[in-house]
Amino acid sequence: MAIINRATKELQLKIVYYGPAKSGKTTNLEQVHANVQVPEETTKSKMTSLATSSDRTLFFDFFPLEATTIKGFKSKFSLFTVPGQVIYNATRQIVLRGVDGIVFVADSQYDKMPENIETFQHMQDNLKSLNLSLEDIPYVIQYNKRDLPDVAPVEYLEYVLNNREVHVPFFEAGANKCEGVFETLNMITKLLIHKYLNK
Amino acid sequence: MAFPQLIEEDMQFIDKVLGDLVRKSEAVLSMVVEKAGYLIQQHGNADALDTTTLATLGSNAYNATHFMAQLVNEHNFTSMYQQGETFSTLILNIDENCILVLIFSTDHTVGSMKYYAAPAVKSISGQLSRASERGETALDLCDMNPDDVQALFRRA
Repeated sequence: MAIINRATKELQLKIVYYGPAKSGKTTNLEQVHANVQVPEETTKSKMTSLATSSDRTLFFDFFPLEATTIKGFKSKFSLFTVPGQVIYNATRQIVLRGVDGIVFVADSQYDKMPENIETFQHMQDNLKSLNLSLEDIPYVIQYNKRDLPDVAPVEYLEYVLNNREVHVPFFEAGANKCEGVFETLNMITKLLIHKYLNK
Repeated sequence: MAFPQLIEEDMQFIDKVLGDLVRKSEAVLSMVVEKAGYLIQQHGNADALDTTTLATLGSNAYNATHFMAQLVNEHNFTSMYQQGETFSTLILNIDENCILVLIFSTDHTVGSMKYYAAPAVKSISGQLSRASERGETALDLCDMNPDDVQALFRRA
């Protein structure tokens, strides 16, 4: 649910990185945080991570990012991740509240396919419990970990995860090397801006 | 019901209410935060605080505790309180979409914060209702060049 503040001329949008455990959601945010170009380094916000002692996301990671001014409106994006572990499904639901756009980060490895499918289904269920639907929310899919051996071909991943009425944009990525990270982020922000452009 | 589009009049009203609240209660900081984590307005001494992060953490903590309360069939959940050694935090529900976050010195009691915050919550809730009744105006981005959004973020 975007916030349009006409007084401060701000458009605020929430993007959630969703996906199975260890698929690279936090890595995506870390890479954006480390590498994004900002006018001045001092203006870059910090990234907040609520993680367990073993560095697994417990609640969420958060990084606010300011983008261009569009027709006088400053666009602000809040990037969140959800915890990947199934035991934290309730907190995933909380983080999804008010979501405007989703990046589904899939793990490309063959043996992770059941987790990808299960997590995608959980995501749809969680959206439903918030009276939201993937039909109304722009989303993109990122096939991460393409640099690892034993990854499924993209055609297979597409067949398994992106085989709906609306075929959404997808990206191959190696988030640990920042490959595909900005392409994915720019596509979801573009889809979101276009949603408002076409309203 | 979605969070309403706010205009100058709304922001001035909320700012005045938050200012009055800080003055009367002697809280360090008061913030109106949308429950998805967006900071709407703040008043007080925020010099050393990252209020954007504070707002996000506050809203998610409130949502999580609300969820927890529902699991134990407690449906009357309207506030939460974190007691600190130097500063404490009180979070109060404003309406379906918003919370009020108050940071205050432990020299003051949570009771006094609740006392001063109650009318502020009512006033802000009323203004947000009026903003909702006003309805939404489409965001006019129609003559924007779509090429401008090809790459909003660039790698350094």
